[in-house]
Amino acid sequence: MTFKGELQYRAKAVSGVITQVFWGLMYIYLYTAFMGGKIIEGFSISQMISYVWIGQAFFVLRFADLPKNCAKEIENGNVCYKFVRPVNLYNQWFAEHFGYKLSSTIIRCIPLSIVAFLLPKGIRLTLATSFTSFALFVIALLLGALITSAISMISVFLTFKTLSAKGTLSIVNTVCGVLGGMYVPLIFMPQGVQNVLNYLPFRFIMDLPARIYIGNIPPLEALKFIAIAVAWLVALIIIGKILINKASKNTVIQGG
Amino acid sequence: MLYNKYVKMHTKSTMQYRSNVMMLSFSACLISIGELLSIFVLFKNFKSVGYWGFYETALMFGIITAVYSLTECFARGFDEFPSLIKNGDLDRLMVRPVNMVYQIFGSKIEFSKLLKACLGIVVMIIAIINLNIIWTFTKILVLVMTVICGCLVIWGVMLVGAGISVFTIENLEFINIFTNGAKEIAYFPINIYNKWLSRLFTFIIPVACFNYLPLSYIMGYGSLPSVVYALSPLFGALFLIPCLLLFLWALKRYQSSGT
Repeated sequence: MTFKGELQYRAKAVSGVITQVFWGLMYIYLYTAFMGGKIIEGFSISQMISYVWIGQAFFVLRFADLPKNCAKEIENGNVCYKFVRPVNLYNQWFAEHFGYKLSSTIIRCIPLSIVAFLLPKGIRLTLATSFTSFALFVIALLLGALITSAISMISVFLTFKTLSAKGTLSIVNTVCGVLGGMYVPLIFMPQGVQNVLNYLPFRFIMDLPARIYIGNIPPLEALKFIAIAVAWLVALIIIGKILINKASKNTVIQGG
Repeated sequence: MLYNKYVKMHTKSTMQYRSNVMMLSFSACLISIGELLSIFVLFKNFKSVGYWGFYETALMFGIITAVYSLTECFARGFDEFPSLIKNGDLDRLMVRPVNMVYQIFGSKIEFSKLLKACLGIVVMIIAIINLNIIWTFTKILVLVMTVICGCLVIWGVMLVGAGISVFTIENLEFINIFTNGAKEIAYFPINIYNKWLSRLFTFIIPVACFNYLPLSYIMGYGSLPSVVYALSPLFGALFLIPCLLLFLWALKRYQSSGT
């Protein structure tokens, strides 16, 4: 029985990796076809390929999500038990969510990056340009995970208002995705749009780490952006705390 | 008719959660708009891929969106088949003296997808207005056939997924390649991908049969004789037969999991 259960999960993991390799290849061929006609400065095809693979490897981090069981608890009203407990709800949810994101990312990213490194030349993930940029990449990625968690907390508040977790999350994720360059890489967008989006919090989730990794953003500039990311993170956490506090005061509990 | 009763029942239950349905409809549309926007950005930056420009691709996008949303709306029961298995509802359906496929069709209708279908049709119309196509009777026929056959193909994919889930119970993630992956692939002309990918999605899972191939006929592109392009949706619809057989075969092997 146990073995069977485990096998089921392993099948799940393998099928997850296959799915992501497929998506990665699809985007690579798609962008290659488009990029064949025009050269973008500082973004070669091999850099684009690594950019896509990084995006796939850390796929889990891209999505805002609700903490475990949170959606159900809000919809059926059990969340009121959480309110009466003497812990800070925001901190608890944030920690729970961040931990979950981190662990599921690690499970996913290791097999996928191994596969991506082993692929034939031309569609393979290449090593980071330098050790500094790799280190900065890791820092930026952690910040990105924290920012996703902070956005998730704001989604919790929105779910309190709308009572529909699915709808709320898909709206939040579409907005994040379009503005953060997860639908189409920011670098393909018109310069004017890029200038604005570069400073919004959404691009720090995935676009910044990936671009530091491929060396598109040099270390010095990367430090500047990391500072901005920290500022956004603090701002998003403060906003989230205020909103959740407000929600816990004014919530009408559903159900009995 | 029984199906009318199903429709009435689902309409009533949907109307109970009006704001929720509106929210889901709106968010589904927002995703599509996001995707269309990213196609627009790509074409704005790179002008074209091969013969295909933005409006040709937008027409393709419109067809795909409409086809997928219509199928997801009416064949939702197959899409969410694992949940039927998990909560044991399938056993209930099995003891009833009505055809299973018919009952699964009736088990769920997702009205929140209809708005997205409308969006797809609107995008199609806008694209057609902006393209200089000389319409003939056959071209219109091919377009209609494309939409119908598209629905059949996607239903076929859902049937395969449902059939597999009889054995795995849980929906395996890689089915996603054939549903969402195929969808995303189909937004763009299939010939820009590499050989194995485009063959996979032309001959094995014939999504190209309801976008790239018939549209090549309507647009007058392509190097093969035009009959091939015009009849491609019918070839695609053949895909449904093995899928249906697989599903029925799997259903016979079904072992209950509910209590």
